[in-house]
Amino acid sequence: MTTEVDVISCPVCGGKVLIESDDKVSHCGYCASPVLGPDQSRMCVNHPGILAKEVCNVCGDLLCEDCFEKRVGDYGGKLLTIVNCSKPSCVSESEWAKSLNEEYQRLANMDWADRADNIILRITGGGAVIMMIFELFFILGMLYMQYFTSLGSLFPQWTIAGITIPGLPVIALMIMGNLLGALLLQTSLQVFVHDRQFTSGLLLLFLVVIESAFLLWRGLYFNLRQLPDPTFLLVLLTAFIIGAFLILVGSLGAVYIGNKKRIQMNRAKDKLGLSG
Amino acid sequence: MPEENKVYTIFDRPKGLRFIGLLQMAFGAVGLLATIGLIVASIVGSPELPGGIGFVYAALVFVGVAIPCLIIGNFVDDLRRNAVIAQIIYSLAAMGLAGLFLFLRGLQYIWTVPLFQIELVIAIGNLSAFIVATQAFVILYLILTWDSAVPPAGAKVIRDRGEARRYEQDLVPLPFTPAVLSSDGVTELSDDESKHVLEIRKEYTVEGMAVLCSNCGGATPLTKVERNRLKCDYCGVTLGVSSVFVPCENHPEYLAATTCAVCGNHFCRKCLTAQEPPVDERWAGSTIFMCRKCFEGRYRPAVTTTSFVVPIDKLFSTAGSRFSSVGRIYGRFLGAYGSVMKHLWRVPLELLASLGKSGGGSGGDNCVGALIMIVIIIIAIPILAGILLLVGAIIIIPFLFYAGLIAVTFEAIKVIRKTDFQSIDTVRIQSIVEKKKQKQKQSKMRPVTRSWESDYERIPSEARRRQMEEHRRSEEERRKRIYEDRRPAQTFWGER
Repeated sequence: MTTEVDVISCPVCGGKVLIESDDKVSHCGYCASPVLGPDQSRMCVNHPGILAKEVCNVCGDLLCEDCFEKRVGDYGGKLLTIVNCSKPSCVSESEWAKSLNEEYQRLANMDWADRADNIILRITGGGAVIMMIFELFFILGMLYMQYFTSLGSLFPQWTIAGITIPGLPVIALMIMGNLLGALLLQTSLQVFVHDRQFTSGLLLLFLVVIESAFLLWRGLYFNLRQLPDPTFLLVLLTAFIIGAFLILVGSLGAVYIGNKKRIQMNRAKDKLGLSG
Repeated sequence: MPEENKVYTIFDRPKGLRFIGLLQMAFGAVGLLATIGLIVASIVGSPELPGGIGFVYAALVFVGVAIPCLIIGNFVDDLRRNAVIAQIIYSLAAMGLAGLFLFLRGLQYIWTVPLFQIELVIAIGNLSAFIVATQAFVILYLILTWDSAVPPAGAKVIRDRGEARRYEQDLVPLPFTPAVLSSDGVTELSDDESKHVLEIRKEYTVEGMAVLCSNCGGATPLTKVERNRLKCDYCGVTLGVSSVFVPCENHPEYLAATTCAVCGNHFCRKCLTAQEPPVDERWAGSTIFMCRKCFEGRYRPAVTTTSFVVPIDKLFSTAGSRFSSVGRIYGRFLGAYGSVMKHLWRVPLELLASLGKSGGGSGGDNCVGALIMIVIIIIAIPILAGILLLVGAIIIIPFLFYAGLIAVTFEAIKVIRKTDFQSIDTVRIQSIVEKKKQKQKQSKMRPVTRSWESDYERIPSEARRRQMEEHRRSEEERRKRIYEDRRPAQTFWGER
């Protein structure tokens, strides 16, 4: 055992590391990251002269690439990667986790699309955020006109069971617009997920068409063209056009890149016999 | 372990301490009600409280009973030394006063308190005796259980239940501090010294691969490693050397600090973020470290665990969580409201019955009074309360719902700008600069769990066997290639 009294700090989180053995891996007392013992060799336990790359999660031996296998284990709903050595006891202890299919990972790697995906995310996301803000300002403006100005008389009223609630159409239709905006925002973020990019792109295209049609209809239904000051309408329309254009461009890009990924995945599955 | 170094959690408190806390809070609540009652009685001009004496009584009860009982009761069961001492002093004072009262007035002394048209008879002598008995119990209990009710001075006490639970599961053995530690790894440096360390530290070295210090963020060359330890060039802290002995995937100039828990690749502190560990006894650490790609969760679940893929109902539940929680609160409130109404109706009905039984006398007045009481208590108050609730719901719920939507928009902006990924290195330096412990906050738009759904499991067994065989062969070839290309161990370590 080590006799030094210095506190050894974890190189990952800064927590205290209690050195349990001079020639074995110890673990940080806080985050449990493995830390080398003071006199421990940095080499693989089976191949002296080759630097170790991993630590067996069961016995704590240092291992080189030839001596470990990676597994994916479900820890309370999170899929985490663990490493074990080839000792039968360690393999047996790790069998609850499934072997990582590295070939599948290699074939399904989509890092080539990172740059394009980042641009697509920013375009669709930016457009969706503009649409969301646009819808929020739209409802605020309409409520203000309905309840605090005489312009509310321009807006139609609904009578339900003989009772007319002032501003009901404004509230109901504008809330629907807000929900549609939230749906756009949600879908625009999903274009960043590889396996959902294609369908999210298509869905975005559909939603932006619906949103445009719904907006035009609301404008006509509430007689917004008759507003004495067209500033409100112009500002909102400009924001809407910019947002819709961005979403349109982004979603087309998502469909294009997403389709390429879809083809790549299908090929990978065919190659590995996963299609059946 | 010395007692002052022991970490106590809220679950270590004795059960009786919790009871004492609740008891004191109950006394405080009664004191508050009494204060309100005295003020109302004074305002309506009760003959028992002439010349504004009611306000004086109200102030005395408020300052002497309501406030101290509520404050002490709130803190005494949190394993706080000062609160326990305050409780003992207060209990002694309360015992003394109640005892004096008993001595002067006797056990049979009663008060008649007017309440609208009725009079409440309070056996104040008995109440005083009750106070003497309970406060004596409190003092006795606190003295007898002093060691468990009062942690040693300077001992760390975890009062947050969530944190305490994690600690009880051996997940949080150490508190962290938002200050640079000195070379002993324990003492905190002063603000000026911390600032100095941050100013002089360098994040790059010209001497080859470096290790980033988890204390100050400075880079110390790997060549200075001795016995698998490294003294930081800037703050002097002794760092252990990670068993992950490869360069960071993104920064070849740094030794990887650890592996990403999700993909298993190796990264430095600049490329890893930290998240709450899964609730699973097999996971020993308090944290999982994750690289940006896995944090973003762009791959299928066989590769990653985090994901952007928020089901649409989750988005709205994020935005509308306040909506639903407010709805639940309203639901509970309405339930409680209904049960209170039962009692509200029972009291006037009993009063009405007693009025009916009284017969004769000023029968007409009684009848009118009873009718007014019925109108006020049975009809007006519930309706008024109902209207207030409805108005509250109409205003508050949409307001909170829209606040949720705005919050989601802000989260989405962070995701788009990619600023929701905070590396452990950035967080550490921020916490030192801002002098506050960084709260671990996960993006609302990136849930951290995802159900197990592996393609691997769905394929037929024959195909799986073929796939495994192919995988094994390709893996063998790959390893052969790696073995042939392998660099000598010294590569990372210069010419040592």
